[in-house]
Amino acid sequence: MNRIATVSHPRSSPLSRRHLLAGTAGGVAALAAPALLRAQPAPVKIGLLHPVTGFLAFSGQQCREGALMAIEAINAAGGIRSLGGAKLEPVLGDAQSKPEVGAAEVEKMNEAGVAAIIGAFSSAISLATTQSAARYGIPHIVDVGVSDQIVQRGLANTFRFCPGYGLIAQIAIDNLVALNDAAGKPARTVAIVHEESLFGTGTAQLLQKELPARGFEVVEVAKHANPTRDFTNVVLKLKALAPDIVIPANYYNEYVLLARTMRQQGVRPKAIYSVLGGAASSFKFVKEFPDDAAYIMDCNHWYDPRKAEALELRRKVEARGLFYTYEVFLAHEAVRLLADALERAGSASRERIVEALATSRWDGHFMPYGPTRFVNGQNEGARPVNTQVLNGTIEVIFPAEFASARPVFPMPRA
Amino acid sequence: MRPLAPIGLFALLALPLPWLTGSGTVLNLATMVLMLATLGQAWNLLGGMAGQFSFGHAAFFGTGAYATAILQIRLGLDAWTGFATAVLAAVAMGALVGFASFRFRLRGSYFALVTLAFAEVARILANSLEITGAGVGLLLPLAPGLDRLQFTDKAGYYWFALVLCTAGLLIAARIRDTRLGARLAAVRENEEAARALGVDAFAVKMQAIVWSAGLAGAVGAFYTQLFLYLDPHIAFGPQVSVEALLGPIVGGTGSIWGPLLGAAVLQLLGEATRALTGGVTGANLVAYGIVLVLIVRFFPDGMIGLGRPRALDARGVSG
Repeated sequence: MNRIATVSHPRSSPLSRRHLLAGTAGGVAALAAPALLRAQPAPVKIGLLHPVTGFLAFSGQQCREGALMAIEAINAAGGIRSLGGAKLEPVLGDAQSKPEVGAAEVEKMNEAGVAAIIGAFSSAISLATTQSAARYGIPHIVDVGVSDQIVQRGLANTFRFCPGYGLIAQIAIDNLVALNDAAGKPARTVAIVHEESLFGTGTAQLLQKELPARGFEVVEVAKHANPTRDFTNVVLKLKALAPDIVIPANYYNEYVLLARTMRQQGVRPKAIYSVLGGAASSFKFVKEFPDDAAYIMDCNHWYDPRKAEALELRRKVEARGLFYTYEVFLAHEAVRLLADALERAGSASRERIVEALATSRWDGHFMPYGPTRFVNGQNEGARPVNTQVLNGTIEVIFPAEFASARPVFPMPRA
Repeated sequence: MRPLAPIGLFALLALPLPWLTGSGTVLNLATMVLMLATLGQAWNLLGGMAGQFSFGHAAFFGTGAYATAILQIRLGLDAWTGFATAVLAAVAMGALVGFASFRFRLRGSYFALVTLAFAEVARILANSLEITGAGVGLLLPLAPGLDRLQFTDKAGYYWFALVLCTAGLLIAARIRDTRLGARLAAVRENEEAARALGVDAFAVKMQAIVWSAGLAGAVGAFYTQLFLYLDPHIAFGPQVSVEALLGPIVGGTGSIWGPLLGAAVLQLLGEATRALTGGVTGANLVAYGIVLVLIVRFFPDGMIGLGRPRALDARGVSG
């Protein structure tokens, strides 16, 4: 034994103090490393890509805020448990309201090593960003873009949580018919005022096609540019035509201006019923112009008012001095959808996240959608909601199962 | 005629970039530089060489972009035919704008306003007509393949843009080195004097606008192939016209390398201001604007004129 040890000794390196120290340090490091890994798993990078400058800046910033608040909440609650409590790390991108800049931001996010991208509010930008992200297999959750083309191109990486305008226009028409029938069919003629880009034009085209088949006569379709600073001519024409219902489909500023001009000119239809109206589901509009907003109805993205989380988020958002708009809660819930997928995937690999999203049955959200179910990237359970501005606040009037108020139609003559 | 070696050297040096960089960001940036350089070159043929400042190059860019999209979507033609038709359609648009303005001797700010008006009319038409998809726009199906001019790899688009940019440089060099270039310079410097010397100002300006429009139309078709989605604002919006003239003005009007230099400086400046201003929303655009003002203030002849005797190159005439 002794002899063997002596013989073997010269072959091995002499055990000096330095070696001993180095060895001990190395051993300690090796032992400590898993503990360090357990304590601080690598964060999961999430690209938040929105138009925070340019003409869509307000909406883009609202989206970003909503997404950041969700990330904050998830991290505060311990991160992604299946990844050892990995935190979500936002990688911010600005599409500058241009599709090509959005696509360039995807390249940067890819190199930053994002596990997924959430964005990009506008349909035109989302079309470009989803396509670029597909090139790298980056899962891309579309938070708001309503064009149905986004999910009709067979991109396996693209998922949209909210409904598209095809469905929204359809449900808006169904609810309008139900509303009119219940009131004894007081309305027969309709005028549509829409903005000129994808969402307004697309919505208007659907309405123009569907409404005549449902017993309405479309007496006017007025298209306007973004921005429009004066609606006098449009409103004077509405005054002359005196339609029973005015349907606006436009962005916030134009919507407010249209509603105010109608009031100034004394145009008082039986209903102002907007489809994806930029303002009718906005607390900002209701707070700033309560008289103009009164009784306006809207078919739009909205949270389920029975869910405590939705109201809690509203409180938090308002505590930060922000308005609780659909951009905020849709982006917020898009992040939580991704967190659920990460949790189930148990991996930050892009393929695994795509798989997890494709098989998602998440029902932890506060939208009135039911469990998520993606078909070709579209969440089939997604539904819009009808709201009406009543007594200075926004109430849900359809669907009946969680309506918080009964619709007032026709609206009272002021 | 001056040798075309510098252009060949540029193309040769730029060719291997996709193999040298693994970065999609760098490749994307380079593709954007080449695309904007070509659009700038198109503007330069008319604005720089002929001195006819256009504020409406979006009219040509958009015509090319829509032409190829419509042909592929509505008529099911292949992208190559679409591309060729796009160039021809833009040429026709150029001839129309040129005839309508040069025939009536519109110059300077009047010409600029007329081009702006043409682009706006085109935008409104695209916004209203069914064939252009009105406000909904046109979406090309995503189907990579050489016959569709769609590439799975970013390198494909880069080389496509490099071909366009090189073609733009060759056209510019060719015009500069032939009689047409001399006549255009004469018209630019003093149209009356040029006429007195027997230059048919109308004819040479028409040639300039037709070349310019055709090249801008090719860039528009390239944009369609790259992003596969068009709407009236993207194709005919005033920002396209501004991007077309900004590059050559910063780089140096009338010089064949000015638009490329200008596009590179502007894109890199955009990236640098973004990196430097960090997360402050919009600060990069403010910084971009300030630096742009400084460039135009201190290099009124464009950056290409740096380090050259000003007397020889008062207007950045030579390349």
